[in-house]
Amino acid sequence: MDELDALRQMRTALAEQEHPDRIALRTSWRADVKQRPRRSFRIPLVSLAATAAVAAGAVVAVSLAPSESSAPGPGKNGAVPQKGNVLLVAATNAEKAPIGKYWHTRTISGEIHAVGKSAANHYKVDSRQGSEVWTDRSGKGRQGHLDLPDVPLTAQDKQKWEAAGSPNWVRIPDAEGAGRTVALQMNPPAGRQAPFRMPANDRFFGLTTEQIAELPTQPKALEKALLSLEGNWHAYTTKTETEPIRALRGQERVRALSDVAGTLLSTAPAPPKVRAAAFRMLAALPGVKAEGEATDPAGRIGTVISLPLETTMPLGLFTAPKQLGTYRRQWIINPVTGKLLAIRDLVATPPRGSRKLPTGDDGKPRSLTAENMPDRFHRPGEVAAYQVFEVTEWTNAEPPR
Amino acid sequence: MGMVSHARDELDDSRIVAASLEDPEAFGELFRRHSPRLHAYIKRRLGLVLADDLVSETFTTAFRQRARFDGRAEFSAWLWGIASNLIAKHHRQETRMYRAFARTGVDPAEDGVADLASDRASAAALGPRLAKALASLSAQERSAVLLLAWGEMSYAEIAATLDLPLGTVKTKIHRARIKLRKTLPEEKIDG
Repeated sequence: MDELDALRQMRTALAEQEHPDRIALRTSWRADVKQRPRRSFRIPLVSLAATAAVAAGAVVAVSLAPSESSAPGPGKNGAVPQKGNVLLVAATNAEKAPIGKYWHTRTISGEIHAVGKSAANHYKVDSRQGSEVWTDRSGKGRQGHLDLPDVPLTAQDKQKWEAAGSPNWVRIPDAEGAGRTVALQMNPPAGRQAPFRMPANDRFFGLTTEQIAELPTQPKALEKALLSLEGNWHAYTTKTETEPIRALRGQERVRALSDVAGTLLSTAPAPPKVRAAAFRMLAALPGVKAEGEATDPAGRIGTVISLPLETTMPLGLFTAPKQLGTYRRQWIINPVTGKLLAIRDLVATPPRGSRKLPTGDDGKPRSLTAENMPDRFHRPGEVAAYQVFEVTEWTNAEPPR
Repeated sequence: MGMVSHARDELDDSRIVAASLEDPEAFGELFRRHSPRLHAYIKRRLGLVLADDLVSETFTTAFRQRARFDGRAEFSAWLWGIASNLIAKHHRQETRMYRAFARTGVDPAEDGVADLASDRASAAALGPRLAKALASLSAQERSAVLLLAWGEMSYAEIAATLDLPLGTVKTKIHRARIKLRKTLPEEKIDG
């Protein structure tokens, strides 16, 4: 018996193939289609003009919750309260939002990629993913993957894409693979709007719907509860151990808390009082600042909240730094409705230079090079990635069948 | 389209990927075709619990990126490549399990799996030794040799899956086999 035969006799009980239905049942792999973006987003930003969205024909109109026009609060719709207290105003109004039988969200995330060889001759494409979720108060329900085409970012980008013959597929460099390319698909095949429906039973940073419903409603108590959340809270690390947020210091702790708060204020089925506490907790974190007004990628006006982050890399996913530029993260909130409208990352300094990465298990040499990065032609202040929360509401409306 | 749904059975994988762009449900056929073997392989490397997670993550990633599958590689190589990357993220965890097996003689990966005692009797004595050697392999060596022994792939398929040159795959497997062979009792060596 040689060593290969010996290997083949090892762990044979585990080698048994199971019926795919059984695997599907146990893994509920479909349920994860939605789950991924939450943890793995890079946030692209776009001033995804409404025109681009309409041109794409695949974006569903933003539906306003009833509270959106009738919410009590300072000023009329769109009026922006004073900067200093904008998060506290948002908290007060978030608390007044109605609660209903179902939690309904529709989220679109986008990442901006340059197509072309030079700063002078390229256009930008917004590569998008979306999901829509309906769950009840036990956290069970359905979710759909919105199959959105990638679209030129601005009217000018659209002209350049059309001048190139409106290609269905455009190729962009693979950011981690020297010389390789990947393709983005620009034209939606007809009929792709039908969402891919699958059971939803999500956790949010490990919290179940029931646990979220019972989170403290006072900001200090909420922060204390969140400090005990276990996870991998580093932008990159080779450690696989988890630790509570409490173990982090300084900016890392602010980053982890603001990530969790962002989820509680967007896709997580948090009750209004928990949302209010999350806004108040954020207001007390060091370095969090209200700035001016901005329009979110869905065209809604809100107030910018800037977060003091060292990196915008998603937490807990990577073993090495994957950015060659620096970025700023902003939330856009509507203090009048008490809603988080969008999160976006802006380029602070465009990518420069290169960096070797540890070789992956696939043995491919990996390195980052500025000329392969999606934002290689971005200028400071331009959006690199975003998430827009088109709908986040408790409702008594029945989910679509 | 004139295509009838039962024709899906005869479609090759890349046609199904293309069809799934319009009809996401079509992707389910790829899960049906590919999940049993992939699941068994990941179970063998990382145990049942992680296997469920990684199969889910592999197909989720594949589904999400299906528009970027360009058909130049075999779908299965592309899928197993995604899975290999995910397995690599658990390199340390995998190593810890081999070490624990080597140290204690009890394989943590088989925790909770019905014990097929007769099946394993012959390998039982060798298991901990092999595990110790597997723990010492680099991530690439381990993947290459286990795709051969457990994934039942050819060298060319391994090269496509790991996106490595064929020669590199041969070298990795050769090195891995030498390290594994050294752990076996002398009389067992015949190759």
